[in-house]
Parts: sequence; C-alpha cells; structure tokens
Amino acid sequence: MIQWLVDNWLKIVIPVLAFLAIWGIGLWLRRMVYSTFVFWAAKVKWEGSQIVIAVTRRPFLLWFLLLGVDIAIQISALPPEVKSTTGRAIGSLFVASLAWVLIALSERLLRLHLPRVKTPERTIAISINIVRIVIIVIGALVVLDIWGVPTTPLLLLILVAVVAAALAFRTTAPNLFAGFQLSATQQIRTGDYIKLETGEEGYVTEMNWNNTRIMALDESTVIIPNSRLLQHTVINYGRPLKKAKEPFHFYSRTHLTELTGLRAKNLGELVDILKKVPETVVYYHTHHYVEEHHYLTPEPANDFAVWVTDALGDEILGEKLASVDTFGFSDLASLRERLVGIIEEHLVLGSNSREPMPGREFYFMKSVSLILPTPYTAHDLREFVETLRKVSLGSLYFHMFESRLRLGRGLNDFSVWLQDSLDESELGQEIARFDPYTYSLEGLRSALIQLIEKRIK
Amino acid sequence: VNIADYELIVGKSAIDELKLVAAKLGGKVIQNINSTFTGGGVAEILSRMVPLLTQLGVDARWNVIKGDDAFFQVTKKFHNALHGRDERITPEDFAVFQETTQKNLGEMELSGDILFIHDPQPVGLIVRKKELGKKWIWRCHIDVSHPNEEVWNFVQPFVVQYDAAVFSAPSFSRELPIRQFLISPSIDPLSDKNRELPPETIDSVLAKYGIPKDKPIITQVSRFDYLKDPVGVIEAFEMAKKSVDCRLVLAGGTATDDPESDKVLAEVRERAGDNPDIHVLLIPANSDIEINALQSASTIIVQKSLREGFGLTVSEALWKAKPVIASAVGGIPLQVKNKLTGLLSHGIPGTAYALRQLLTNPDYARSLGNNGREHVRHNFLITRHLKDYLLLFLALEHQEDIIRL
Repeated sequence: MIQWLVDNWLKIVIPVLAFLAIWGIGLWLRRMVYSTFVFWAAKVKWEGSQIVIAVTRRPFLLWFLLLGVDIAIQISALPPEVKSTTGRAIGSLFVASLAWVLIALSERLLRLHLPRVKTPERTIAISINIVRIVIIVIGALVVLDIWGVPTTPLLLLILVAVVAAALAFRTTAPNLFAGFQLSATQQIRTGDYIKLETGEEGYVTEMNWNNTRIMALDESTVIIPNSRLLQHTVINYGRPLKKAKEPFHFYSRTHLTELTGLRAKNLGELVDILKKVPETVVYYHTHHYVEEHHYLTPEPANDFAVWVTDALGDEILGEKLASVDTFGFSDLASLRERLVGIIEEHLVLGSNSREPMPGREFYFMKSVSLILPTPYTAHDLREFVETLRKVSLGSLYFHMFESRLRLGRGLNDFSVWLQDSLDESELGQEIARFDPYTYSLEGLRSALIQLIEKRIK
Repeated sequence: VNIADYELIVGKSAIDELKLVAAKLGGKVIQNINSTFTGGGVAEILSRMVPLLTQLGVDARWNVIKGDDAFFQVTKKFHNALHGRDERITPEDFAVFQETTQKNLGEMELSGDILFIHDPQPVGLIVRKKELGKKWIWRCHIDVSHPNEEVWNFVQPFVVQYDAAVFSAPSFSRELPIRQFLISPSIDPLSDKNRELPPETIDSVLAKYGIPKDKPIITQVSRFDYLKDPVGVIEAFEMAKKSVDCRLVLAGGTATDDPESDKVLAEVRERAGDNPDIHVLLIPANSDIEINALQSASTIIVQKSLREGFGLTVSEALWKAKPVIASAVGGIPLQVKNKLTGLLSHGIPGTAYALRQLLTNPDYARSLGNNGREHVRHNFLITRHLKDYLLLFLALEHQEDIIRL
C-alpha cells in the first residue's frame, strides 16, 4: 500500500491540488461577486437583493465544491467508466441544487412582490406552484439527458399537455394575465369611471382575475373580459364624485314649423305685424336658425336681419337688427320690444319704400315645440358630462335655449341643477354666463364639456 | 332600404329620436291617399316614406283614388292652373272632377285615424269628415301662391274643411282659416340619384357623353323649359369663360306633356352652336345614375330658374358638396342661404360674376359646398321629412305651441 502511494503520489496529489485550487477560486470569486452585487443592489435600492444573497450564498460554494470534485476525478487515474458515472452523478447533483435555488429564489421573490400589487393569497400560491413545476420539470429533463435517457417522447408528451392546457384555457388565460397586469399597474381601480373605445362605460364595481364589472349610467351591469381592457383604448376618468340631491333628467326637443299666413312686403308691414303676433312667432324668427344652421360658424343672424339685408337690401338696418343680443333678454316681450323699437326708429329716419322681389316677402311663422323625455339621467358631474357627450343637439338646445327664454325660466336648466341639486354654484354661474348664441351647437357642447371636465379635475 | 341604413348619414341620435316620436303615436293608423302609385314626385316620396314609417312601427297605409282618363286630364289642368299656368277650364271639367270624387266617396274605405290627403285630386274626400270624424290633413305639394283663381275658388271650400294644410315653402301657402304647417320636401341619400358613386361609374358616364375632364365643369340639370332659362345659363357661361376656361353641361329631358320643351331644346342647341365646350345632353327619363354622375363630376352646379317649385335639384347638388349658384325663386332660398350654403343670383351678369368668383376661389367654393351638404343633411333629407310628418300627426292632437309628450 505504502509502496503504491510512493509510486503514484502524483496521481493523488495533482487531483487534490486541483480540487483545492478550484475551491480557493470559488471562495475568492464568491467574495468578489457578492461584494459587487451588494454594491449594485444598494445603488438601485432593490429589496430583493437580500433574498438573492441569502438563497445563493451557500449553494455558490457547493457548486465550486462539485466543480472541484468533478475536475479532480476527471484528471485522476480512475477508470473511464468510474469517471463517467461520477461525472453524471455530480452533474445531477448540480442540476438538483440549481433547481432548488431557483425554486427558493422565485418563491421568496414572488412572496415579496405580489402582495404589493394586492394579489390574492390564492393567486400567489398558484403562481409559486406553477414556477415550481416548470423548474422541476426542466431540471428532471436535464438530469435524464445527463444519464442518457431519451427525453424526446417525454418532451412530446409535455408539449401535448401544454397545448391541451392552452386550448382549455385559451379564453381564460389572456384574461388571467391581463388581470394580473391591470392589478400590477393599478391603471384601473374599483370605483373608477372608465370608458372603452368600443363604447362601454360606467363605474368599476369589481375586478377579478377573469373580468371587470362596471355599472353603466342606466344602472345595468356590464361584464368586460380583462383582456379587452388591455386590447382597447380605455379612458379612466377616476374616482366617483359628489351625488346630486335630485338627478338631472335630460329631455329632447324637436319642432314643427307652423305658418301663420301673415306676410310683410315692407318695413311698415313688418313692424305692424311683429307687434301683434304671439310671442312664439318672435321666438321662431330669433331662434330657428340656431337649430337649422348649427353647423355654420358664424351662424346667420335672426330672420328679421337676414330679410332686411337680403330681400330689402338695407344693410344698415340689417346690421342693427343682427346686433340685437338675444342673450341679454330674459323674456320674449322685451326682445320683441327692442326689435320693434329698432325698426320704428329706422322708419322715422328713413323711408318705407323698399320692397322685395315677389316671393321673397317676410312670412311669419311659429314654432310648435314637442318636448320628449330621453332615457338619460345624471347623478353626478361625471355622469352629467358623459351624457352631455351623447345627447342629441335637440336636447342641448332645449336645456340651454328654450327653457331659458321660451319657458321663461330666465336661466338655463344645467345651471339650475348644478346650483340647486349639486351645490356647484360656481360652475352653474359660469355656465349661466355662457352666451350660447355665439357658439354653434357642437361648439357649445364642447365648451360645456371642457368646463365641466376642468371642474372634475 | 332599412331605417338603420340612415344612421351612418344622420347619426344614431336622429334615428333614435324618430323611433321615440313614432312610439308616441300609440298605434294610430295613418292613411295616405293620392292619385297614383307610380310616376310623379308624390308617388315617389310615398313609396319611400310608407315603408320607413312601417319600420318605425307606425301603421302607415297608402291608397289611391280611382279615376278615368277624363278625370286625370282635368286634374292635370287643375294642377297646372294652380301652379299659375294659363289653362282653359270649362264647367264640364268641374263636373268631371265632382263626378269622380262622388264615385270615390262611395267606394273608398277610409279607415285611418289620420287621413293624409295628397294634392288636389283626392281633395274632395273631405266631404266624409262630418260623418267619420277623425283628423284630416291636406298635403299640398304644389305652389299655390299665384293660382288660377277659378280653380282655387273651386278647391278652397274643400281645403278649409281639413284640420290642417301642409305646404312645402312659406311662399307657396295661402291665407287660410285652418292651421298650416311648413314641411319641406326631401331627397333620399340612399337613392340612385343621390348615393355616392364609384369614380369608374362617373368616368363611364362622362365618356358616354363625350365630356373630357380637362377643365372645370359647370352643370345645370333641369328639363328643357323657358322657366329654367337654359339660354341664360349659356350666356352667363360665355361671360365667365372669358376669364376662366371651363365647360358647360346642360342636362335634362323634355316633358311629354309640354310641347314647348322640344322648341326650347332646339333653341338651346342653336345658341350653343358648335362650341365644343358646351354639352347639351338630352337625358332619358329614369336615368338617375347618369344625372348623379354628371352632378358628381361637376365643379359648380347652376340652377338659374326664372320660376321654380321647390327646386330639389339644388338639394341634390348640395348633398354632393357642390358649390351652387341659383336664382332666389320658389323654394331655392330655403336651400341656398346666400354666401353660406351657396350663392343666390338675380340675372345673367350676376350668375357670370358668381361663376368667376367660385372658379377663381376654389377654397371658398369648397367651403360653400361643404356647408351646403351639412345644410341638406340636417334639413332636406328624408329622415327630417319623416320626423316632420310624425310631429305633424302628433301636433294635430294639440292646440298649444309647447307640447310635452
């Protein structure tokens, strides 16, 4: 035995030295790597760094130990079959330890981060188990490969299982991942008012891992798969707002034109008839252009001004009549008085000789308004502004023009509601100061929306 | 055609509003009565509106009165006379009218809750109002502002028994002791005459009539009639062409009942001479796609009528976003708001001046055309017409000016 050692001491010493060298390198490398890592972690302030160190510090030395043993055996004089077997065993040990480290690391990191995005415990457990299974399966496959066991059929089997699972969960999986992402990013939260580009809108009442439930303005519940919230543009208007004492009911207004049979062919006749006709005729001729030409900017003036200018060719009087500020009047009687005053003043100074071409006389008409309830109501500013975006122009017209002057309320309906039911006096007054006659109806809608959006923010 | 097809054109809220108003009628039966199911503007509009009313849930029916050739000869004369044309009306004509009316009074089933009587031919059915009650409306599609007094005095006693009369333009109406409503006619944006055509169709029509696209095209579409002043259009075109090179297309048909129209066509052809830039096109009846194509290919559309009914060709042109120059006659000022949705002219030099203005200021011309299209979208499409009819049926039940439904 001693003689054998004397003859073969080099065959023992060299592997031992190699093992010790590798071990030494391992110790040195561990110090270098971890000191660098700690420095980096401190710089980026990553809380997971302690976990990484705690989990990997010991296995790091183990891996060098395994590497040292493997190299020592490979350069030793042991028979090749022994070398091969021990190499495989060491490789397997390395894979197992690596898998263990990865499992421990991912588990502790997931437990650190997922609760911060309010992930339910059940989902955390599911996520950890999925990671464990994936790592164990991959590790097992590698170990089998090291021992020369054919893995192709096993891989195919796993592939089939994965495909089957993907098919089974093809609708659920995207929703699950989308839900995870939504929860992680906190872009949408319960209580927010959201609107999808596809039209669905309402308050978020519940978010789970498959879908998000919203309550629409008509109080119906809309269930939206989470994946749709990521695929489409979503406007998030934020938190719920103060509720009104009474909801605002949107009405729409449409009208029919009634002919009075009265016509004027000069200024004298115009003013005589204007004095006698019902106020609804005055209303028609000072307002119908708002609806009929609402797409024009600037809109044409009132009918009296247009007729005097175009049919009588009297631009001076036309300008005077056009400049009558309808918004400045709170009732139709005083508006009529002003128009009559301007024409009579002009008649005193000028003549009544101008007459239009036949067929272009002034035809007195009146407007028959039909007021219809709409299905829309608003309980707060958010609902109000969203409804305002979609109501018909007839509805906007009714609440801003007709109710103020024709129904004699003196103030538009929106301002009344904002002040009386929502305690939004400032906003109500701001809208009351709006001169709607200077806007096209769409322009008026945009201006109101802008004002209310500003208030909500 | 489905009512939903109009949603893309006028918006969902407009269609929703139609449905809302229609629902308020509460199952009332609307019985339309005129003189024919085919031919003429009234039959055309009813053939489109009755199915749409039905789709909106309204029980709308359509019946026609019966009459022989003699009756329709007389009503044709009445129609022209009410329009203000010289017609020799004899006592026998009135007798024929009365006789056919009596026959229809006996045979016609008047089952509607609202009887919607169109034009003078069935006007005499009102006699049964005393017996049946119900609501009766006379829809006058013609301009009775300057009628032959003899015919008007014959028709008026019938008219005043109705609950309401409806006219197409304020200037078409008369002073009457009954309620009168203004409901303008309309165009159907989905019809062959007004739908958007593919460029190949437009090009093939231009090729068919030998019209090159090398210069701006000025077009007037109207039958060959002195009242449409086609010769005046040529003169205005020639004046404008001195400063801006362009082409003129005069397209239209000749009316079979108007012996003058061949004469007018001959005069127009003579006045055009061999000018290669003037295209006088005799278009057969029912060539809606060809008319559409010619309008769509035009740079400017002119309607230089001396007298006009409502002049719906103006709305057709505006719907194609074309800048329009038109005379301020008939219903045209309702469609063309001067300098906003087109230009109004009062004579040949004025038309030439307007042509030069538009040819040299394409941005201005484009803005007029675009405004014109919007004006038609909101005021002269069939959807607005439907709404007005529905509102009219509802308004009959109320005397007040503000009706809460």
